[in-house]
Amino acid sequence: MPNIPLRDILIIARQESVQMRHHYIGVEHLFLALLQIQGGLLSLILEKNGLSAEYVADTLRRKMERGSSQRLWVGIPYTPRAEVVLDIANDVMLDNGNDEVTERDLLHAIFIEHDSLPIRVFQSMKANLVALKEAVLTLTPSNEAILSSTAITFGEAFDRNANIPREHLFVLRKMFASHASIRIERNLTGFRREALIVVVTPIQADNREDAPVVAKIDQKDSILDEVQRYETYVRSILPLQTARLEENPTVPDASELAGVKYSLVANVGDIPQDLRQRTRTHGTTGLGRLLQHELYEQFRKTWWQQKRAYRFQVWKEYDWLLPPILTLDYVPDREPPPNAHHIKIPFNRPKLKSRLKDEIQFGDIVVLENFTVQKVDRQQDLLKLGIGYGSEADKRAYRMDVRGVHLARSSFYRGEVIERIIGRVMRTRNDVLLQAVRDLQPPFDPRTRWVTLGEHRLPNPLLAYEDLLDRHLNGSMSRIHGDLHLGNILIGPNNRIWLIDFGNTRDGHTLFDWANLEISLLGDALMPSLGDEWKTVEEVLDSLIWLNSDLPMPSMNDEVFTAIASITAVREVVHECLTTKDNWYEYFVALTLCALRAVTWDSMSLGGRRLMFMVAGLALLELNRKYLNTPSHTPPIDEGELTDHLPTPVSGDGSRLTSSGSGTGSRAALPATAPLNPEPQETPERALGEDEKLLLLQAIEPAPPESTELSKPVDPDEPPPTPKEPIP
Amino acid sequence: MKGTLEVMIMSGVEDGLPLNYSIENGDGELTHEGQRWVIRIGRREDSDVCLRNDTFVSRVHAYIIWERERWWLEDNNSTNGTYVANGDLDARVQGTIPINPGDLFRIGHTWMRIQPVTE
Repeated sequence: MPNIPLRDILIIARQESVQMRHHYIGVEHLFLALLQIQGGLLSLILEKNGLSAEYVADTLRRKMERGSSQRLWVGIPYTPRAEVVLDIANDVMLDNGNDEVTERDLLHAIFIEHDSLPIRVFQSMKANLVALKEAVLTLTPSNEAILSSTAITFGEAFDRNANIPREHLFVLRKMFASHASIRIERNLTGFRREALIVVVTPIQADNREDAPVVAKIDQKDSILDEVQRYETYVRSILPLQTARLEENPTVPDASELAGVKYSLVANVGDIPQDLRQRTRTHGTTGLGRLLQHELYEQFRKTWWQQKRAYRFQVWKEYDWLLPPILTLDYVPDREPPPNAHHIKIPFNRPKLKSRLKDEIQFGDIVVLENFTVQKVDRQQDLLKLGIGYGSEADKRAYRMDVRGVHLARSSFYRGEVIERIIGRVMRTRNDVLLQAVRDLQPPFDPRTRWVTLGEHRLPNPLLAYEDLLDRHLNGSMSRIHGDLHLGNILIGPNNRIWLIDFGNTRDGHTLFDWANLEISLLGDALMPSLGDEWKTVEEVLDSLIWLNSDLPMPSMNDEVFTAIASITAVREVVHECLTTKDNWYEYFVALTLCALRAVTWDSMSLGGRRLMFMVAGLALLELNRKYLNTPSHTPPIDEGELTDHLPTPVSGDGSRLTSSGSGTGSRAALPATAPLNPEPQETPERALGEDEKLLLLQAIEPAPPESTELSKPVDPDEPPPTPKEPIP
Repeated sequence: MKGTLEVMIMSGVEDGLPLNYSIENGDGELTHEGQRWVIRIGRREDSDVCLRNDTFVSRVHAYIIWERERWWLEDNNSTNGTYVANGDLDARVQGTIPINPGDLFRIGHTWMRIQPVTE
C-alpha cells in the first residue's frame, strides 16, 4: 500500500517550483511531485493507460513557462486552485477515516477539481480522464513506493521530541543519496541557531553500516562560510584523529539550506555525544580532566599555543559579541530628512561613540552608509550589518540590525556592501542589555553603579562594558575555535575528543575560547542542575570568589564542587596561555564580555543567565583588583563620569522601558521616559568601608583617553609592551 | 442594461482566482449610451482585472467588451501581446475578436477565461 504522506510531496513540489523560478505552489507542481514517486500510484495509473510518467511530465513542463527572476511576492504561497485541491484532498482523507493526506487523496482531489493545468494537459493528449479517475480509486501499486532513495530511521538515543523540519530531512537525504538508508543516532545540542546537528550512521544497500558521521544542516551562507573557514584555518593543522569536514557541502538549488558532514575517524558503532549531553548523565565529573588533558593537549600546539604578540583595542575582538548597537526599522529608500543621522564607514570611533550616546535617540532616522551584510535572516526578516567582511572579529563589530526589509523580495547577500540604507531607531544596545537583565527579575536595580546580591556587591557590567571596549590589551593571537562550548565538543568511547562547528574559527584573541568554555561550564552544565533561584546564584558566586582568592574554601555541595574543579582546570589552561605570566587582566576582560553576552541568550536557563550577569560583575571586580595591586595610585571616582555611563534606554518597543530614564542632561528631551534620579541609589563606598576586599570595588576605572591607532595607548593597568613587540 | 462577468485566472500564482464584475456595482465602463460595457485588463492598479504579478503585462493591456449581445476581446497594442489557445501554438490577437465563455486566452504570461457567473 503506497503511503507517501503529503508533507513529503510538498517538499518536491516546492523544489519544482523554485527550479522553474515560479516561487508559488500550484496544482501543476503538486502533480509533478506525484509523478516523481518511483513505483507510485500516478506512474502506475499512467502506465496502465499507455502513458509514461516522463512523457506526461515533459508535456506539462513545456506548458508551464519558466518564471522570471523577479519575485513580486513574499515566500512560496499556494495558488487559490492549489488551496482548493488541498482542501478537497483533506475532505477525501476524512471521508476515508484517515489522519494524513496521501498521494491517492491528493490525486483524487486533482481529478475532482478537474480544472487545473495537468487536467488540461491530459485533455490535449486526448487521454481518457474517466478511466484515469477510476484508476485512482482502484489501483494499488504492488511494490513499496519510494519517494527518495534514502530511507531514514532513528536510533535509540535520538530524542523523539525533537521534530526535524522536513526541509532539513530533504537536505539530509540529498547528503546521503548514495546510501540506501541512514539511521539518525542522536541529535547534538551544540547549536544556538536554527542549525540541525545529528550523528548519522550511513547504511549501504547490502545493509553494511559505515562509521558514524556528524551531519550539520544550516542556512546556505553559514555552511559555505564554515567550509571556507575550515579550509583556511583548520584543515592543515588538525591533529590526526579529529573531526574533519568533508570536502564538498551539499547545496541543493531548491532549498535555502545546505549541509556538511564531519567525518570522525571512528569505528562502526561508536556513537559520540556532545559534552553538554554528557553533563546530563555524569554532571561535570571528570570534565576538567577531559578539557585540560584531552582537548587542550591535543590542539594546543597548532591552536592556543601559537600566541603571537597582539596588542589590540578590546572592541576589535569583543564588540561583535554584544547585541546590535542599533536596531532599526527599515524606511523604504527615499531622501532622508535633513535632521537624519548619517553613520558612514569609515568613522571615527570616539566621535561615533559620543554621538550614539548623546544624539541618536529612539525614533530618529539613521542613514547607514557602506555597511556590510553579515547575515540575511529571512525567517525573522532581519538584515544584520557590520563594518566589514571577513573572518576577523573586528569585521563583525558595530552590528546594526535592520528589520522589515522584506528580505524575501530583495536580493541582499552576505558580504555585500550596502551603499546606503535608512532606518528608524527602535532599540539601542543598552536597551537590549538592560531589558535582558530586567528579564532576570534581579533583586537590585540594574541601572545603579553597584549591584548587590546577598553579601556580594559587584560593579555593574552594564555601566562598564563601554569603557572596557575602549581599552587596549597586550594579548596574544592564536588560531581559535571561535565558538567553543560544551555542545561543540564531542566525546566518543575511550574519551576521544572531537571538535565540530568551525563557523567562527579564525585567528583571534587566544583566551576567547577558554573564557567561553568557562561560561559554558557554568551556564550550560552547572546551573541547569541547580535551578534558577537567586539564592543558588549567590552560592555559586561564593565558590567563584573563592576560586579567585586566597580565602578559605567555603562549603559547597558536590555538584558545585565538581563544577568548580573543572573551572580550575580551565583556569590552569588559561594560566599557560596568558601573554604575560600571572597577569590575568586579559582573561577577565574576555570573561566579562563573554558573560555579558550570555545574559541575552534565550537558550540558556534563567538561573544560567542570572549567574552570567553576576559572573560579569565578578570578573570586573577582579579586573579592578589587579588594577589596585599595581603600585600606581588609586584614581578617585568621579560620580558624574560614572553616571554618564548609565545605559540610556530609548524606550524601544513601546512602553516596556518607560520606567527607565536618562542619566545625562543632554537627553532631557527624550520622549516617554521618566527622569532618572542621577544619584546612585546606594553609597557603596561607605557601606564597604571596613571590608578590605570590597574596597576594591571603588576602582571602576575611568576610560583611558581616546587614542588613535598611532598614539601610544594610555592604560595604567597594562604592563608596558615587551621590547619585541612593535608599538604601532 | 444589466450585466455580470466572471473572469477566472488559469495560471500563475493566482491560478484558480475568480474575479466578478457587474454593471450594477459600477465595475468597468459603460459607453455608447450604455450599449457597450468595457472591462480593462492591465498591470495598473486601477485596472478591473489587475495582473500585478505578471511583468509581461502592459499597464493597459487589453479589454473584455460586451457589445451586440456577445463578448469580445480587444488587444490594446500591448508589448507582449494577447493570445488565444489554438492547439499547441497560441495565436496572437490582432484588434478585436469574439470570444466565448470557456475559451482560454493569455495576457502576458497569465492564462484566463471568462465564464458564466457562479451563484
